[in-house]
Amino acid sequence: MLEIKGLSKSFGGIHAVSNCSLGLKDYVITGLIGPNGSGKTTLFNLITGSIPPDKGEIYFRGNRIDGHLPYKVAQHGIIRTFQLTRIFPKMTVLENMLLAPLHQTGEILWSLWVKRRRIRDEEKAYRERALGLIETVGLSHLKDQFAENLSYGQQKLLELGRAFMADPKMILLDEPTAGINPSLIRKIMELILKMKESGKIFFIIEHNMGVIIELCDWVFVLDNGEKIAEGKPKEIQNDPRVIEAYLGV
Amino acid sequence: MDFLFQSILNGILAGCIYALFAMGLTLIYGVLNFVNFAHGELIMWGAYFLYFLMGKPFGLPLPIALIPALLLTILLGIGMDRFVFKPLRTANRLTLLIAALGLSFLLRNGAQFLWGAELRTYGFEIKRGLRILGISITLNQVAIILTSIVCIVFVYLLFHRSRLGKSMRAVSDNLELARVVGVDSKHAIQFAWVIASVLAGVSGILLALDTNLQPGMGLINLVKAFAATLLGGVGNIWGALLGGIVIGLAENLGVLVISPGYKDAIAFGIMVLMLLIRPSALLGRQE
Amino acid sequence: MDLFLHLCVMIIIYIIFAMSLNLEVGYTGLFNFGHIAFFGIGAYTSALLTLQQVPFELSLLIALAMAGIWGFLLSIPSLRLRGDYFGIVTLGFGEIIRMVFQNEVWLTKGPMGLPGIPKPILFSYRFATLPQYLLLTLGFAALTFLILRIILRSPFGRVLRAIREDEVAAEALGKNVFFFRIKSFVIGSLFAGLAGTLWGHYTTFISPGDFTLLETILVLLIVVLGGKGTEWGPVLGAFVLIFFQESLRFLRLPAEWTRYLAPLQQMIFGGLLIVLMIFRPEGLLKEKGRVSNAGN
Repeated sequence: MLEIKGLSKSFGGIHAVSNCSLGLKDYVITGLIGPNGSGKTTLFNLITGSIPPDKGEIYFRGNRIDGHLPYKVAQHGIIRTFQLTRIFPKMTVLENMLLAPLHQTGEILWSLWVKRRRIRDEEKAYRERALGLIETVGLSHLKDQFAENLSYGQQKLLELGRAFMADPKMILLDEPTAGINPSLIRKIMELILKMKESGKIFFIIEHNMGVIIELCDWVFVLDNGEKIAEGKPKEIQNDPRVIEAYLGV
Repeated sequence: MDFLFQSILNGILAGCIYALFAMGLTLIYGVLNFVNFAHGELIMWGAYFLYFLMGKPFGLPLPIALIPALLLTILLGIGMDRFVFKPLRTANRLTLLIAALGLSFLLRNGAQFLWGAELRTYGFEIKRGLRILGISITLNQVAIILTSIVCIVFVYLLFHRSRLGKSMRAVSDNLELARVVGVDSKHAIQFAWVIASVLAGVSGILLALDTNLQPGMGLINLVKAFAATLLGGVGNIWGALLGGIVIGLAENLGVLVISPGYKDAIAFGIMVLMLLIRPSALLGRQE
Repeated sequence: MDLFLHLCVMIIIYIIFAMSLNLEVGYTGLFNFGHIAFFGIGAYTSALLTLQQVPFELSLLIALAMAGIWGFLLSIPSLRLRGDYFGIVTLGFGEIIRMVFQNEVWLTKGPMGLPGIPKPILFSYRFATLPQYLLLTLGFAALTFLILRIILRSPFGRVLRAIREDEVAAEALGKNVFFFRIKSFVIGSLFAGLAGTLWGHYTTFISPGDFTLLETILVLLIVVLGGKGTEWGPVLGAFVLIFFQESLRFLRLPAEWTRYLAPLQQMIFGGLLIVLMIFRPEGLLKEKGRVSNAGN
């Protein structure tokens, strides 16, 4: 699915990502771990197009996507969440969800006049699906609230639900369980596992090793922008290089 | 050929003034992270304060009226911050800018209310200038250049040699961090306003000396100040200096080829050109 | 009675103008501080054409096109900029356009202005009298309101609001933010041109001094006072402010006072903007969406 070859990015003198190569193939849930500052979020940003790489290539399902603008990357079917949730504050939970599907006919200006019925039907379908997903994440009672009124944990659920709503081929989650209580963490893990069943690929940045071990089939470890290890979660846990990376920092 | 050199001189002259505009603007931008849309009016009021003190009933000569005029300008600058910008420190950007625009409008019309819309001058007769190498330069213009140099040196010393200057640079770099580390951000901000107001006041007076006074002089010079800031890199005070000189030169050399009615548009044109050619330098990150 | 009708016409023209700005500022979050430029382009284009005996229907369409095209041209280099920068660029653009009106005397007659702009003849019906003109503007205003409503309530409008709220998140969901902004800006410019056209044909005399920052401030005030990002906000704002502005004109005041009155009124506008932003930035009408405490 995702193939990264020799990716590098520096800011000033800092090598945020150095010659990183990795691939996500049949592993459905992949984890990305590493000490703070190891380049995890930068890697995500490179994949999603927020920043262009200095060197290297990124392929998604055979298509080259490095250097593409974020909206184009998203249109390839890669959706991400953010470390600090980015929901649309002065829009309702439902509207946040309805924004997610790609290529909505109603978003094209001309179509508003000539494809009215199609838009109406699409909206109806989206609305149904959105309400279903809102139910799944447990936010039904808040569907008409402005997203800014939600608690942090609820916003995280919304962001997750919105990512699902976009029906992507791959979801990048940046610290999905950061800063929330254990029961919510459990809920999010359940949601991710449920989505895995429907065939979505996950790439997850996490600091919470418990989550990594339970969820991930494969893990990559970054330190100082380089990939220092990869493997099954249990193996990674005991890998001396990994331990040193976390302790040595 | 003489004409060309004359234009270059005029360009440098105007450029010095614009540099001071831009330096003040970029200083506030650097410390508070927003473009003060009312900066033009600070410039304008600086000029009018002097006019006011030189006229009846005070009738002070220029050198004596200068200090109180600048003090009044400082008062205005600090007042702007205290009453309009401080309450909006945490508001969203659009709200802040609209308020600044409203403030600019308020001040502009305030000046018009008090002094009318007619052009005014300080009343110095245009003495014949000295001729050096075929170029004519008046005493006024020499004063402008000297004053600008003094200001620039002063800013340099302030920024790089004083503790308050260091605080200002820290605050402009990272307000949160500066606060946490204990840099006195409140004073740094106030100080930035003092300096920006002085720069604005001085440049307004110089501009009025070189041309004239009218309530609308704030707006178009805001655009020029901003263009200079963009040219030099936003937040970079020496870049603003350079940008100002470039704009001044471009204007005065530009009118040799295009209609003088569009002289004020040259700065805008340069800005658009920069945006087309080097947009990456100007794409601010969305917060 | 005439005063009342005049007031209505002015209010309605400004409603159209404000709705167009509301689309850009209120819904898409664009800091357009030069909106008057497109109002002026619309006014001058239609005036110049109809003065050359071009039929109104065509003049109007061309005026709209001109406003839209210039909106497009302005937005291409500047819409990628961050808010304040875009604000200054549009501000500058407004001034430049005014300079063009002033300097291109061969075209616009410069400071002397264009007198004798003919009353519009739409589909063989001449809208010459005050009540007739009121009908005309009302019709256009209703049309504008409906068109904008369709746009704003559609998925397209939803994306605009998302861009306003968080363009990074919108982009991450696959929306081409740049294109959406351009479309919003062009539509806004187009309708501003419409308002300008209607205004020009109403006053029958236009000059560069009619298209200054004052008008931009006024329409901005209307939008934020009424409640930006709402459908009826511009309508309410226009009623309140234009009523205030125009009625002052009709108070019989001694001539010497006007020298002071105009800047004073404008100081009030400036001050009102400041006070509004500090104490009630949402304006009179708030955006819909339950603001009750969500709790946990």
